[in-house]
Amino acid sequence: MRLLIVEDDPLIADSLTQGLGPLGNTVEVFTVLSEARAALAHSHFDLVVLDLGLPDGNGLTLLAEIRRRGDATPVLILTARDGVAERVQGLDLGADDYLAKPFSLPELQARVRALLRRSQQRTDNRLRFGPLCFDPASGEVTLHDERLDLPPRELGLMEGLLLHAGRIVPREQLIDRLFGFGEAGPNALDLYISRLRKRLQGSGVRIRTLRGLGYRLEDDPT
Amino acid sequence: MIVVDGTLKRRLGAWLLAAVAVLGTFLLVEAYTSAQRAADRAFDSQLEAASLTIAEAIQWQDGQPVVEIPAAAFQILATDQQERVFYTILDTGGREVTGNLDGVITDDLRQAAQSAAVWKFATYHGTPIRLYGRELKSAGWESVEPVQIWVGHTLSGRDALARDLFFRALSRFVAMVILTGLLMWLAIRTALRPVRRLRQLIRQRDADDVSPLNAQVPGELYDMAETLNALFERQREGRGALLRFTADASHQLKTPLTGLQSTSELALQSDRPEDWRRALQIVHDSSARTSRLAGQLLSLARLRHADEGTPGRIDLAAVLRDTVMEWAERDAAQHHDLGLAPLPDTPLFVQGEPWSLREMIGNLIDNALRYTPAGSVITLDLERAADTVTLTIEDNGPGVSRDLLDRLHQPFERAGRQDTEGSGLGLAIVDSIARRHQATLTVHSEPGHGLRVTVRFPLLPEEDPA
Amino acid sequence: MMRALLLLLLSLMPSVLWAQAPTPLHVEAALDRQVVAPLLARFQQLHPDIDLRYHDNSTLNVDKQARDADPAPDVVISSAMPWQMARVNEGLAQRLDSAAARNWPDWAKWRNEVFGFTFEPIVTVYRLDLARHMMPPTTHADLHTLLKTHQDLLRGRVTTYSPTGSGVGYTLFQQDARYSPRFWDLVAAMGAAQVSLENTTRNMLKGLTDGTYWVGYNLLGSYAMHWARSHPDIIVQIPQDYALVMMRMAFIHRDAPHPAAARAFMDFLLSEAGQKTLAGSTPLFSVLPDVVGPYTAQRLRDQVGERLYPIPINASLLAFVDPMRRDAFMKRWNREIRILNP
Repeated sequence: MRLLIVEDDPLIADSLTQGLGPLGNTVEVFTVLSEARAALAHSHFDLVVLDLGLPDGNGLTLLAEIRRRGDATPVLILTARDGVAERVQGLDLGADDYLAKPFSLPELQARVRALLRRSQQRTDNRLRFGPLCFDPASGEVTLHDERLDLPPRELGLMEGLLLHAGRIVPREQLIDRLFGFGEAGPNALDLYISRLRKRLQGSGVRIRTLRGLGYRLEDDPT
Repeated sequence: MIVVDGTLKRRLGAWLLAAVAVLGTFLLVEAYTSAQRAADRAFDSQLEAASLTIAEAIQWQDGQPVVEIPAAAFQILATDQQERVFYTILDTGGREVTGNLDGVITDDLRQAAQSAAVWKFATYHGTPIRLYGRELKSAGWESVEPVQIWVGHTLSGRDALARDLFFRALSRFVAMVILTGLLMWLAIRTALRPVRRLRQLIRQRDADDVSPLNAQVPGELYDMAETLNALFERQREGRGALLRFTADASHQLKTPLTGLQSTSELALQSDRPEDWRRALQIVHDSSARTSRLAGQLLSLARLRHADEGTPGRIDLAAVLRDTVMEWAERDAAQHHDLGLAPLPDTPLFVQGEPWSLREMIGNLIDNALRYTPAGSVITLDLERAADTVTLTIEDNGPGVSRDLLDRLHQPFERAGRQDTEGSGLGLAIVDSIARRHQATLTVHSEPGHGLRVTVRFPLLPEEDPA
Repeated sequence: MMRALLLLLLSLMPSVLWAQAPTPLHVEAALDRQVVAPLLARFQQLHPDIDLRYHDNSTLNVDKQARDADPAPDVVISSAMPWQMARVNEGLAQRLDSAAARNWPDWAKWRNEVFGFTFEPIVTVYRLDLARHMMPPTTHADLHTLLKTHQDLLRGRVTTYSPTGSGVGYTLFQQDARYSPRFWDLVAAMGAAQVSLENTTRNMLKGLTDGTYWVGYNLLGSYAMHWARSHPDIIVQIPQDYALVMMRMAFIHRDAPHPAAARAFMDFLLSEAGQKTLAGSTPLFSVLPDVVGPYTAQRLRDQVGERLYPIPINASLLAFVDPMRRDAFMKRWNREIRILNP
């Protein structure tokens, strides 16, 4: 994987290189927009980590340029200010994720991994998370390379969770996905979740309930 | 932003023009009609004189009116303008005794003249003329029968005189307009001089100069100068507050930085890896705390010293759901049970700014995460009342003692929990934001039963009244 | 073939030929043709493109033509000043807007529609025979005295205009009556002398020449002076107390069929060239003060002094044509002229 980091602070740039390199990536760092622009124009990257406050301008202009020429390279935005306006503007311009400084390195690593996974899916349709793998073409789910036979509702639920693996999937979204609009009560979802949990027990991944928010497919630390 | 909305000169000019147009139309119409009236008066008196002259010459012979028309009567009728002249003398039966006005005097006119003198604009073979007719109660030896004298002439003299009078009025008016314009221009120039002086004064000031203005201004500009002074006053106060805040903030930042420095110095003096590791752990924790402190300071500065965004109708439920979702994703929340109670289905609108509401909820969550041990349950909720909506965050952590509760709102107050990481700014920020939204903040705690913080917002009606 | 030839002929014809297609111009005038022949000739010379048709006529006929003729005459000229004025007042004239018209003296025009273009003093004419018997009259009072003192000698030998037969005569008597009430004494005296009333100056001059009359009152000076040149026994006397001056008045008819030609004619009458011809080649005096010639208003003034009383061209003339005033005047005339008869 080839990563482009645009960050003018040498300390942060250094820690980003150190933190992301071990994940199996080649990392290139630029400190000004113009150099990053030139690099992006001439070669392919799998991910761009873009700081917004740069000495020669706002990173959002580069983002806009990238998207304007149809380049779908995933972009993760970093900024010192947790401003909603900037975040919304960044997402509107086509950023894939957003992280406010100060951030913790593990969190950044997780987000980058998720983005790379999604980026990869554009060439390989299969959804993977840890030992889990789902092939939307065949509808086949494997756990530790062993086939899991899932009834349709559980299969749908699994796909919904896998699509956003590592992130919270709101309950409403899963209900809509499984039952259509207003067809079944919320309890039905709980039923399928508990069935899936049983299947995943001891596999290294788990489904966590976040009260009032939704569910998340995550690594099981136990 | 300053938009140049025309110049005063142009505006006054436009007003002058409008006044001239309205007044001018009125005056000119008036001048026109009065010129006509004056001309008619002047020439009508000639008709009257001619009529009198003819009347003088009427005598009765053998029961018939006899007139030896005086030549002077025609001279008077013709006037200097050489009008064509018309006259007729009618006897009691309406028969023409003499004259050159056959057919113009209708029976109606004749009857009208019996009671009062008649003035009339008429036409003689297509030529407009002015007619004057009156009845003469002549006394004779044989008869007292009345005769009517009608005289008339063409209108060129009247028209010429009316035109002349009108153009004289017109030229007077034009001269007046020009003079007024000139005076107005001079007046504007003179009146704007103090404005220019004031501008000069302000332009010459240093950027940092916020002392009151010292200038002579006319009464009309006193308000503006006063307002400027008030603005400088506010700027002075703002700068003062900002300086104080900056001093506070830098003091706050200096403390952990000093700790960092001493810790790292100690570690550098040591040769033992265990000491390094311990020091690094401290450095890591402290730097995380410091960066959070910096963020909170920034928030506080924004809240106190900046106007960002305009408040609008905000769905508090949506903002809450979004913010909790975002926090639940963060690493910091991974060891707590952070959740949302079931929210009402309908949107709950409050007047506010999205960024500050997020900041408030974020701070509440952050506080709860920091001051409760891992595994604690943190729940956020919204409760709707008749015209309020209450945001609640509850934890099952250790809580706070009652005597510390009141001081929690103050910045840099950590409620005696010096042991845990945190700046004590969180609740101060929440309090500031609550005030901005006319919301009330209450903190409730039973030691051993966790902390419960509520913010009660005024609820906007569901339907947008606009 | 014929048409082609015709076209060729037409194209070869010089444009002058087209211009020469003459515009007719009909002038109706109470002014003897032979008197103004030089003036008309000069006009023709200046305007070869206008075919001038000049009809001289009595004042009454001219007035009738102006009122009723169809087509109307282009230009109307008459010495019957009140009638001319009445026609203009009725709106029968059209305005002349030209430099000549504008520069014409104000006292000799009205509304720029009618113009007095001659200046003709009214004179007393007597035979030399008269001078042999008595002091010839130089004033109106002289004539009155003469008529009273030499009643027998002058009986039947006095002539003047008929106020009924001549518009000019009527006008002159009206004007005389305006100036002095003693005019009626003169009328009475003339009546006593069994005055002969003639319709034209020419008739009076003929009578004077053949010895029928010894003295004529209120003759047109222009004709009389012209006549006296060839008749040495005829003496022309401009009255020394006051002398009336008559003007021929000309206007363009409202319905003139040839208005352009009419304007050209009027402009000529009022022009320096016209007035010079008038003053130099006709017995009619020029109105313009700066025109040089034997017959000019200025020269007359130099001779007679300020006793010339032009009949004013203004609205007061209209009084003379008022029927009732005319009736009253004629009644008085008829009374006065018989009052001293035995």
